[in-house]
Amino acid sequence: MSEQNDPMAEIRASFFIECEELLEALQDGLQELDDGADDPETINVVFRAVHSIKGGAGAFGLEALVRFAHRYETVLDEVRAGRMTPDSDSMKLFFLAADHVSDLVRACRDEAPIPEATSDELLVRLDALLGDEVEEEEADAADFTPLGFSMSLDLPEIEPELNSFEIRFKPEQEIFATGNEPATLLRNLCGLGTATVRCNTSDLPDLEDLAPEAPYIEWIISLQTEAAEAEVRDIFEFVDGLCVLEITGTKSGDDGDVAPTESIETEVEVEQAIAAPTAIAPVSVPKKPQGTKPASDTEDSGADPESKKAAAPAAKSVVRVDLERIERLVNLVGELVINQAMLSQSLDEAGLSPHSDAMNGLEEFQRLTRDIQDSVMMIRAQPVKSLFQRMSRIVREASAAVEKEVRLVTEGEGTEVDKTVIERLADPLTHMIRNAVDHGLEISEKRLANGKSRAGTVTLMAAHRSGRVIIEVTDDGAGINRERVLEIAVSKGLVPPDVQLTDGEIDNLLFLPGFSTASQVSALSGRGVGMDVVKTSIQSLGGRISISSEAGKGTKFSISLPLTLAVLDGMVVNVAGETLVLPLNVVVETLSLGPDDVQMLRPGAYVVKVRGGFVPLYDLGVMLGYRAQRKTDAGAIVLLISLEDGSRAALIIDGIQDQRQVVIKGLDDSFYRAPGIAAATILGDGQIALILDPADIIAGLGNPRGADIMLSERKIANE
Amino acid sequence: MTEPLVLQQKLDLPAAAPLAEELKARLNGDVVIDAGQVTHIGALCLQVLLAAATSLKAADHSMSLTNVNDRLVEQLAQMGFSPETVAEGRV
Repeated sequence: MSEQNDPMAEIRASFFIECEELLEALQDGLQELDDGADDPETINVVFRAVHSIKGGAGAFGLEALVRFAHRYETVLDEVRAGRMTPDSDSMKLFFLAADHVSDLVRACRDEAPIPEATSDELLVRLDALLGDEVEEEEADAADFTPLGFSMSLDLPEIEPELNSFEIRFKPEQEIFATGNEPATLLRNLCGLGTATVRCNTSDLPDLEDLAPEAPYIEWIISLQTEAAEAEVRDIFEFVDGLCVLEITGTKSGDDGDVAPTESIETEVEVEQAIAAPTAIAPVSVPKKPQGTKPASDTEDSGADPESKKAAAPAAKSVVRVDLERIERLVNLVGELVINQAMLSQSLDEAGLSPHSDAMNGLEEFQRLTRDIQDSVMMIRAQPVKSLFQRMSRIVREASAAVEKEVRLVTEGEGTEVDKTVIERLADPLTHMIRNAVDHGLEISEKRLANGKSRAGTVTLMAAHRSGRVIIEVTDDGAGINRERVLEIAVSKGLVPPDVQLTDGEIDNLLFLPGFSTASQVSALSGRGVGMDVVKTSIQSLGGRISISSEAGKGTKFSISLPLTLAVLDGMVVNVAGETLVLPLNVVVETLSLGPDDVQMLRPGAYVVKVRGGFVPLYDLGVMLGYRAQRKTDAGAIVLLISLEDGSRAALIIDGIQDQRQVVIKGLDDSFYRAPGIAAATILGDGQIALILDPADIIAGLGNPRGADIMLSERKIANE
Repeated sequence: MTEPLVLQQKLDLPAAAPLAEELKARLNGDVVIDAGQVTHIGALCLQVLLAAATSLKAADHSMSLTNVNDRLVEQLAQMGFSPETVAEGRV
């Protein structure tokens, strides 16, 4: 991420990390505003987020970002000052602008080309919102006036202890280039207490020799304030290094008469000069010192309680750690698990009694390993919120592109998922959301005609369910047009023309490679990426995707993911001389087949009788292509598996070896992704075993024609 | 008497260079500046005004600010000036 030994690069990197957090806060705030929140703090949060991004960007000379953020902030300030009430159009624009800020941040971070054209277009629209309304500066000045220039006349009897500071501030050229304005800084400074501002113009040349964009003047400010020096310095935080700044201070109870410096040519008592405004705004007690965040401090319009409220959630102390370090830790823990398995195996082979100290110790060792693993996984876990926020942008863009009104509802944003999973979910989810908006939802007229609300709803839900993470994308559209899907599949030669498929099977045709058709291509979908790619990416995460649809009601895509990508509780089994691992959570029970247990439905299709019910029976060895169908399965060992969707299957295996934790090792992309295989692992004896994906097996084999579909998948994948 | 120079609403960084040009063109006579529209003045435009006032004064011409609103007075004050001291280029 950051270059080593380059402190600037590190600071820069951490700025961009902060930006991500600020952007998140910005999105949240806008969403709250959009949902009708009208408390001043919400708009303050939004404003501060943009302001802090601007400030940081200024420090790194990211001009494009500063320029855009500055004018965006100006408009937000109008809202903050209550002079503008955002309607739905301006909210849309605010969202667009927020998206654009995030684009700019990323472009700056990756040193990619800046999308100037979009900046300009949005700025024009933002400026249009302002119209003839008063400018930002006035707003802030009005906010600060009563605080800044209050005199000691109306103070309560007990005068708080005042600090006196003498501040010398000489801007340098870069200060303007980074979007900062000395006038604003001076105004904020005045806001801290009672200030006497003097300006030294001795370096100012004649107009003929003046470079209009170069600073020539400096200021000396005598400030009496309750604020501590740190707060005074905070005002100049964003211009650190862009100006000469000297702050000398003494604590004094009196008014702190500071002898004027000789070089000073111009001197005006602020109190006198602005007598009129102070008279309008009732003089109040000087601003209390407060420990708010620097970014908010400079712009806070006296909303002290609110700013404290906002700061509260941030109080959680956190450490930023390079992801690589965590990866290393995860890998080490993985090795530890393997090592522990090896140790366990060799102790076993040594013939130690299960009650021996060594074996007891090993048990404890296993427990600790597991705890360590869980803790490490927790470090990597992150709420899906950031991912969902990205999706809300996708919805906005997608709905604008196809001119549909779409509302995104998110649920379970706090659900924590492995960071790697979150990152790798972004693309498939984007595609699914676009699909939902483009294909799932009907146009408004059609919706109204069908008695639905004008705006379609896309729901994005995350939850933990039986040790897995479930993510659902639901739309309330027209549902899948199965006739059309089947037609396309037949025309593409994906299924035989005379095939009879159930609704569920037709829905699953969407996941076939090559299903995406030219007639589907629109501005959004049909970018050469089909649902098969979504399915593949989900599967590469050890997950599954399923689809359910009801005509006229909508479609639901459901993704089920393992909580972690690193470790799995597995059942180690033998099949046709191969060692395989099945996730333990799907195994319901094991049986030994009796001669009468198996019944034939039709040649090649068998069911097994289990507790009065029938469960389809498959020979895992045959399904995976290890061996041919045997004449009789009597006496074979069967694993009864059940999935969260309720489907069950009985798998014939040759023997059960063990039940243990295995470390998941992903299969390299260069391997062909065999259906039914999720990943691989290294066993205690150093042998490599494949980890099965039972849901994939059931999905592919769970119906008589599933095998055909699997075969076409195989065929296409091989091509 | 020449037309007063009407200042823009926003006297920020981009406004500094054009303002300097306009003032340079008027250095050969008294300058009346109409500040009625100004809602914001930044340090750079202040500098331009101060330099112009000094140059005008050196050439025995005068500069005056008219229609100064409260907002401008306040902003100038925060930078250590009054409309009068600006018009005089300090002193």
